Amino acid sequence: MENKDDPISGVLDNEYKYGFVTDIESDTFAKGLNENVVRAISRKKNEPEFMLNFRLKAYKKWLTMKQPAWPNVQYPAIDFQNISYFSAPKPKKKLESLGEVDPEVLRTFEKLGIPLDEQKRLANVAVDAVFDSVSVATTHKKKLMEVGIIFCPISEAVQDYPELVEEYLGTVVPVGDNFYAALNSAVFTDGSFVYIPPDTISPMELSTYFRINTEETGQFERTLIICAENSYVSYLEGCTAPQFDTNQLHAAVVELVTQDNAEIKYSTVQNWYAGDPETGKGGIYNFVTKRGKCQGEKSKISWTQVETGSAITWKYPSCILQGDGSVGEFYSVALTNGHMQADTGTKMLHIGKDTRSSIISKGISADHSSNSYRGLVRVGKGASNARNYTQCDSMLVGDKCSAHTFPYIETGNNTLQVEHEASTSKISEEQLFYFEQRGISRENAITAIINGFCKDVFKQLPMEFAVEAQKLLTLKLENSVG
Amino acid sequence: MSSALAENKNSAESAFFSLHKTFLEKVKPHAELLPLNRSALGRFETLRFPDRKHEMFTFVNTKDLVTSSFSLQTENPVQSEFVRQHVYAGCEQSHLTLVDGILRPDLSDATALGTSVKIESLVEAAKSESVRNSLKISIEQENDVFASINSSFMKQGIGLRVFRNKQVGVPLQILHVSTGSGNGSVMTVPRVFVHLEPLAELKLITKYVGVKGNYFINAVQDFTVEDDAALTYTQVQADPDDAWHFSKNRILLKRNSRFFGCQASNGTRLVRHHSEARLSAPGGELELNGVSVLVEDEQAHNFIRIHHEADHCTSSQHFKNIINDRGRASFDGTVIVDKGAQLTNSGQLIDNLMLSDDGRADCKPNLMIFADDVKCAHGATVGQLDVNQLFYLKTRGLSELVAKKLLTRSFAESIIQKIPFPQVVKELNNTLLKKLEADHG
Repeated sequence: MENKDDPISGVLDNEYKYGFVTDIESDTFAKGLNENVVRAISRKKNEPEFMLNFRLKAYKKWLTMKQPAWPNVQYPAIDFQNISYFSAPKPKKKLESLGEVDPEVLRTFEKLGIPLDEQKRLANVAVDAVFDSVSVATTHKKKLMEVGIIFCPISEAVQDYPELVEEYLGTVVPVGDNFYAALNSAVFTDGSFVYIPPDTISPMELSTYFRINTEETGQFERTLIICAENSYVSYLEGCTAPQFDTNQLHAAVVELVTQDNAEIKYSTVQNWYAGDPETGKGGIYNFVTKRGKCQGEKSKISWTQVETGSAITWKYPSCILQGDGSVGEFYSVALTNGHMQADTGTKMLHIGKDTRSSIISKGISADHSSNSYRGLVRVGKGASNARNYTQCDSMLVGDKCSAHTFPYIETGNNTLQVEHEASTSKISEEQLFYFEQRGISRENAITAIINGFCKDVFKQLPMEFAVEAQKLLTLKLENSVG
Repeated sequence: MSSALAENKNSAESAFFSLHKTFLEKVKPHAELLPLNRSALGRFETLRFPDRKHEMFTFVNTKDLVTSSFSLQTENPVQSEFVRQHVYAGCEQSHLTLVDGILRPDLSDATALGTSVKIESLVEAAKSESVRNSLKISIEQENDVFASINSSFMKQGIGLRVFRNKQVGVPLQILHVSTGSGNGSVMTVPRVFVHLEPLAELKLITKYVGVKGNYFINAVQDFTVEDDAALTYTQVQADPDDAWHFSKNRILLKRNSRFFGCQASNGTRLVRHHSEARLSAPGGELELNGVSVLVEDEQAHNFIRIHHEADHCTSSQHFKNIINDRGRASFDGTVIVDKGAQLTNSGQLIDNLMLSDDGRADCKPNLMIFADDVKCAHGATVGQLDVNQLFYLKTRGLSELVAKKLLTRSFAESIIQKIPFPQVVKELNNTLLKKLEADHG
């Protein structure tokens, strides 16, 4: 810190301080963030110069920025100097048997109906070769390579495909986009990189699952997906299983780029630890910047998200509809219970002609939680014939929770058509009574009502995700209704 | 750039402070109202003029307004003929004329109201403790900087009280005449305090007109509607194009009371209506409707906050804007349902008809809900005339022009027809909708 103004001596000092030469001490940096730390991360990862410049630019921008105060969430101030910004990826601890797994996690697996072998894999229990994630991943990787798809950790991409990374990184989410995006750009350690070459339909759904996921990705994840002309990819992120992490702050950045006629379908299921249900303490802060750019003509980006975890969710997967005739979609189910707070939604920026977007957002709030939809639909003057349809529905379970809607609609031409509608409802005693008198248990009745409410979003999810997501919602609401 | 903006803002604020000094020294405030003036000035100091990122002014650019240097309006003569033109048929014996915010008994006639309504100056009205208290609280809790400006210059103005169980049959019209100015911009701060005692009923029409332009009318109206009382309110904004028109309506509804409001805006270089309603006891009913027709560079903005503080209340809003040329309309409305306000029924709909490629329509229909057994809905649309409807009319032998005219008219008509005063409906058909026809050739 004291050498902040003198980068050269700062770096020299750093090497000494953190012990670059000794392997033992290099694993984790001391807490705190300064320019030297940013340089050290870049150096540690042996990055080319453009990456260092990218990080430094972001860091300088970050210093001038303030934490956003506009989201409808409350949390104690985060001390950014009390975080260690680099810790070498280490393998997760292998467990001997399912008996060692947290019983709460097992109970969830059971409810979700996850097969035993997959349960073991998710809980990181050593499994036989056939089901070992590494071998699964290797098989998949081979298949992808055959059609020319690059799917690897972004740190690998920086080494192997620097020209692609340099061309696209930060083009959708600029380094100074917002406070957390700037922080992520300065200090991110890893994440996924996907490149789909022209005229290629990905033979399978790509998932973070089998990106040889034996390592923790860390709290500042960076994802970049590029889909070239006439290509298609479906990407899955997260999983329904409860996820625990020692890092409270998660500030990821996801950037998507589609060229002419290309399509990216990005699905997320998020179930991070939400904190103690009674007090709300200890949950994950999920401050994510996700944005896609439909750069080419007639390209399409579709976001589907099922948000069921995290103490605080702050996330707006957005689409920049730049190419003429491009399409943006956003499907979201956000469930909050306990003391969770979610402020989530999307931005649809219509720039090109004949662009279309649709937004379907379903918010369910229970217990003491707060659930906000915040969305922007902006149609520029040149975006003639633009079309948007937005529907955001809220469901309240119990009288201590709250649901909010903050849509922004900004329009400026006379060929556009924008529609927005929202409604609020509840699971009523009458509905439950109706089910129960037909011999359907209360639990199943709730499942049916919730599924009906979320149907429009679930049908956008890949099959196996959809089934699990349904069960997950029921599970989460188990103790909230009735 | 940003520092230059800040400088502008600061100089605008200091210009305002020196204007207030003039007010204290030359205009001489009323001793009774002076503490309120001071408290409002303190509020202004806290709120300050909005910058572009101010959440309440997202769509309203007030830069030109706050950087124009204003003087306080001095007395100007008004022809009684001018007033007569703007008094609606049926209100000949029930109208109050406020010239630049000051009641002019010589231009008013309230004989038809009889003894049901007490009309007094604001100073007189503020002698009642309840009025003084409600003024005091509203000033201390003010969130709109322009309303706090009104309060810091508050001197004239009127109080209306409809006595218990009195149902006033004839509509009462309040005519605000701004005399404007030939040189330099002037500011006026009309203030009207309306109080309906339990079971009272009143039909009120407020109309804003100007003799000359180049003025800033910054009006505040307080409505208190007590138990089982009902207020039917219509507001017609017809200022000249080079006026700034800001008005804030503060509405407090008590048990089983009703407020039915309609507003029609002609648009000027900048019109901003701010409505803040509190449904404070069970059974309250609130309806707000609005229509604006904007051509050339006219703007009209609506900012609405509705607080459902008690259970069993209903509120509904329907706003329509027709935008042509470079017109700008915005709607920023929030419905807040407090904890415990169960069985609330609330609806909100905004429709924008865009007739030109250079117009702008922005909407922000917000909902904040803290109770679970409620029905809340909102909707917003921006679009053009339906080609299928146009085609249908053309197949019936109507020319394209006539068909367009008919559809555009009917778009606005659905709001205008809700106004329960035929004479106002007739006038709006002749003025508001005429604007469009001029354009359609």
